[in-house]
Amino acid sequence: MQFNNAIGEWMAGKLSIIMYSGTADKFIPLGVLAQAAAATNMQVRVFVTGFALLGFTKQHNELPFPEEFKSFAPMLMEGMKRTNTKPWFDMLSEAKTLGDVKVYVCSLMASVMNIKKEDMDPIVDDIVGAASFLSDAEGGQTLFI
Amino acid sequence: MGDKIVIDARGSSCPGPIVELAKAYRNSKVGDTLELWATDAGVRADVQAWAQKTKNQIDSITEQEGKIVVVIKILNR
Repeated sequence: MQFNNAIGEWMAGKLSIIMYSGTADKFIPLGVLAQAAAATNMQVRVFVTGFALLGFTKQHNELPFPEEFKSFAPMLMEGMKRTNTKPWFDMLSEAKTLGDVKVYVCSLMASVMNIKKEDMDPIVDDIVGAASFLSDAEGGQTLFI
Repeated sequence: MGDKIVIDARGSSCPGPIVELAKAYRNSKVGDTLELWATDAGVRADVQAWAQKTKNQIDSITEQEGKIVVVIKILNR
């Protein structure tokens, strides 16, 4: 679906991502999808909730790797290095310079974890609620990571 | 007759080539030709999706000397 975004730019589609997971592996598809969508002129909106909030704090906490796949970690690390895969944060930052990409943090989760906007990395654009996010996602593709 | 711009994305994996293409596209104008070099097999399908989304034209996708060469005509900018 094509539409004009809030500032009148023509968009080829809309991708909304609810980013919930808190393990390092789950952040890679966030980076890849945000870049692929931004590169193909789609509007991207990321709603950070759940444990994913831990990846967006100013301290840049290292995210844990899932226990059940620990044995795959070395292979994954080597493969990512060999394929020149960038860290998720760099991919998401690049996506923001490439197109209409916004990162929003869930207001409920921020309150629950006692994290304020000042504690978050500048990549976060705003704190919003579920209703506004869902309303904005209308008509596009919505994913849950 | 527009300019020809070569984008060397060899060694870069999805979505790398498309990101490099999008960056070059931002600096291009209608009538230019973008030539993307890539080694990632996924690029064949990705460039077609990119062209469809941005309303540009794929002139050819060929394999030359171990690299995939995609020639794109900029019709919309």
